[in-house]
Amino acid sequence: MQRLLLLGLNHATAPLEVREKIAFSAEGRDRAVQALRTQFPQAEITLLSTCNRVELYAARQVHGQPRVEEMIAFLAQFHGIDAAQFSQHLYQKTDQSVVTHLFTVASSLDSMVLGETQILGQVREAYDAAKAQGATGALLNPLFQRAIAVGKEVMSATNIADGRVSVASVAVDYARRIFDSFTDKVVLSIGAGEMAALVVRGFAQLNPKRLLVCNRTHAKAVELAGQFGGEPVPFENLSDHLTAADIVLTSTGADKPIITAMQIAYLLKARRYRPLFLIDIALPRDVEAEAGKIDNIYLYNIDDFQKVVDETIEQRKDSVDSAMTIVNRQVEEFVSWQRAREMGPMIDRLSKRYHHLAAEELARTLHKLHGLGDAEKAHLEDLTRRIVNKLLHDPITMLRKSEGMHGSASQYLHALERLFHLEDNEGNEEVD
Amino acid sequence: MPTTGQVHLLMLSILLFLAGGVVSLFRLWRDAAGLRIGAKACHYSGLLVAIAVLVWHALLRGGNWLPLEDNFEAFIWLAILLAAFVLYVQRAKSLGGLDWFVMPIVILLLIAAVVFGKAKPQSYVDTTWSWVHRVTAYGGAIAFTLAGASGAIYLLARRRLRHKTPAHGMRLGSLERLEHLTLTSVTLGFALLTCGLIAGLIWQLRIEHAGGHTRLGDRWWTSPKVVLASTVWVIYAIVLHARINPVFRGRRVAILSIIGCLLMVGTLVVLNLMPAGGSH
Repeated sequence: MQRLLLLGLNHATAPLEVREKIAFSAEGRDRAVQALRTQFPQAEITLLSTCNRVELYAARQVHGQPRVEEMIAFLAQFHGIDAAQFSQHLYQKTDQSVVTHLFTVASSLDSMVLGETQILGQVREAYDAAKAQGATGALLNPLFQRAIAVGKEVMSATNIADGRVSVASVAVDYARRIFDSFTDKVVLSIGAGEMAALVVRGFAQLNPKRLLVCNRTHAKAVELAGQFGGEPVPFENLSDHLTAADIVLTSTGADKPIITAMQIAYLLKARRYRPLFLIDIALPRDVEAEAGKIDNIYLYNIDDFQKVVDETIEQRKDSVDSAMTIVNRQVEEFVSWQRAREMGPMIDRLSKRYHHLAAEELARTLHKLHGLGDAEKAHLEDLTRRIVNKLLHDPITMLRKSEGMHGSASQYLHALERLFHLEDNEGNEEVD
Repeated sequence: MPTTGQVHLLMLSILLFLAGGVVSLFRLWRDAAGLRIGAKACHYSGLLVAIAVLVWHALLRGGNWLPLEDNFEAFIWLAILLAAFVLYVQRAKSLGGLDWFVMPIVILLLIAAVVFGKAKPQSYVDTTWSWVHRVTAYGGAIAFTLAGASGAIYLLARRRLRHKTPAHGMRLGSLERLEHLTLTSVTLGFALLTCGLIAGLIWQLRIEHAGGHTRLGDRWWTSPKVVLASTVWVIYAIVLHARINPVFRGRRVAILSIIGCLLMVGTLVVLNLMPAGGSH
C-alpha cells in the first residue's frame, strides 16, 4: 500500500533568497532525481522546480522511505547548505492533500500571477524528466497525467487564463488589434531603460521588419538594440524615425513631451496616413495627449495599460471558484480511483484468507465425524462459508465507506493489513 | 409562384438566421465556445434550409436552370450567396462580427422573397446582355455588402481602440485586415458593377433600337434605378481612390463603403417596388 508525500516551498512561504538557494536547474533536477532513485530505489520521485517553487513529490510504501526528514536532508546535502536555513519555510503534505495541491498548482491557482499558463508546461516538463529516468510508477504516473489534464480543463473551461497581466503583453495585444502582420512594420523605441527593454522584447518576438532604438545616450541604444537584433539610430533624426515607424514606444526621462501633437499632424502626410501606435510608458509623459485625438493615431499611456492589467487580474479572481470546483471534482475522482485500486486486492486477500482458514477447520472437523453423507458435508461447507461471509460483511462495508469518516481509507487499509496479517507476499504489482 | 410549403420552409430559414444572429451578438460581451458553436449551427442550418427551398422551387418550376426566373428565386439566391460568402470569409480570415452586419441583410432578402415572391414574375427578355447585367449586378451587390459590413466592423473596432476598451468578447480582427477586406471587396464589386452597368446600358439601347419600351420608361437614363446605380458607382470610385490618395484611408473608406452599401440596397428596393411593365 502506497503513500503520497510532498515536501516543498514556494513564493508564499519562502523569500527569494531562500528559493534561489534551493532551486534546481534542469540538469540539477535530473541529477537530483537520479540520486534520490539510487538512495531510495523502492520510491517514485518527481521534482518540480520553477522560479517560484521547489516541490519534491514521492510515492512510497506506508512504512517505506524516503521519510520527510530524509527528504529535507537530501535537499540540504544536494545544495550544500544547512537545513536550518530553509526548513522553516517548507510545507509538507500527504495523500489526498498532495493530490489537491498538485492539481491546484497545475491549474495555476497557486501561482504568483494567477492564471499564468507557464506552470502547466513546467509540471509536464518535471513529470517527463522523472518518467524518462524511470522515477515514476503506479502512483505518480496517473497523478501527474491527471494533473496536466486538470490544468488544461481549468484553462479552457474557465476565464482564469484570459487576458494579459503585464504591460508589455497588453501593449502587444493592442498592436495586434491595429496591425495584421508585423513583418512589414517598423518598431521604434525612444529610450533604452529596463521598462523599454521589457516591451521591446515583446515586439521583437513578432519579427518586425525593422526594430529601431534611439536614445540620448547612444551607447545605451546600441546595447538595447544589440539584445534584440535591432538597429541603434541617432536621436537627432527623431522626425525621420517617426515617419518610418508604425509602432513607437517612448520611455525617456524627459521633463516635458518630446513628441507633440503638432509634430505628429505635420508628419501625417509624409507617413501617407498610415496608422501609428504610440506607446507612452514614460513618467512624466513623452507624448502630448492631444496627439491621441488625431485620426489614425492610437496613443496609449502607462495608466491605460495598467487599467487593463488590473481588470484582467480582477476577472481572473472571479474565475477562481469555478476553477476550484473543477479541481475538487477531479481530486475526488482521483482519490476514488486510487482507493478502488488499493481496496480491491486487499478485500480479495482478506476474503481468501478467511475462507481458507474456515476450509481448513471444516476439513479437520469432517475428519473426526464419521458416517456423514455427501448432503450433510455440503450443508456444513455452506454453513462455514456463510459464517465467514457474515463475519466479513461489516468490516468490508465499513472499509468501503471509510473515506472521510475518520481519516483516509489508507489508514483503514493499513490497519486491516496489520491486524489481519494481509501483507502482500507476492510483492506490489506495478501497474502503469 | 412559391407554394405554401416553400414559404413556410423559408420562414424557418429566416428564424434560424435570426437565432444565429442573436446568439452571435451575445459574443460581443462574452466569447464563449458554446455561443460560437450555437451561432454557427443556426447559420449553417438556415443556409441549408434556404438551399432546400431553392432546389424545391426550381424542381417544381422546371425550365431554365439558372435560379433567377422570378423574384422569389432571385432574392433567395442572393441571400444564399451572401450568407455562404460571409460564413466562408469568417472561417478563412477569422474575422468575428461580420455576420452581425451581413446576416440582417440576408434576413431582409429572405423576407423580401416571401413578400415579393408571391407577385407575378417579371417577364424578362432573355438576351445575353440581360443575363450578364443581372449576374454581374448580383455579384457586385454581394461584394458591396461585404465591404459595407467590414467597414462597419472597422468603425466598431476603431471605436473600441479609441476608447481603450480591453479586448473582452469577440475579436473583431485588426484594423489593417478589415481595411484590406473592405478595399478588396470594393475592387471586386466595382468591377462587377461596372460590367453590370455597361451590360444594362447595352441591353436598354438594343431594346430602344428594336423599337421596344423598357420597364424603366422612355427616359430610362433619368429613372431612380439608373440614377442610384450611377451614384453607387461614383461612391465606390471614390473609395477605390484610397489606394492612390491615402487621405481616404481608414475611417473615411469605412464610412463611404457603408454609404455605398446602403445606396445599393436602396437601388434593389427601388427596383423591386417599381411598377412592373413590359421590358420591351
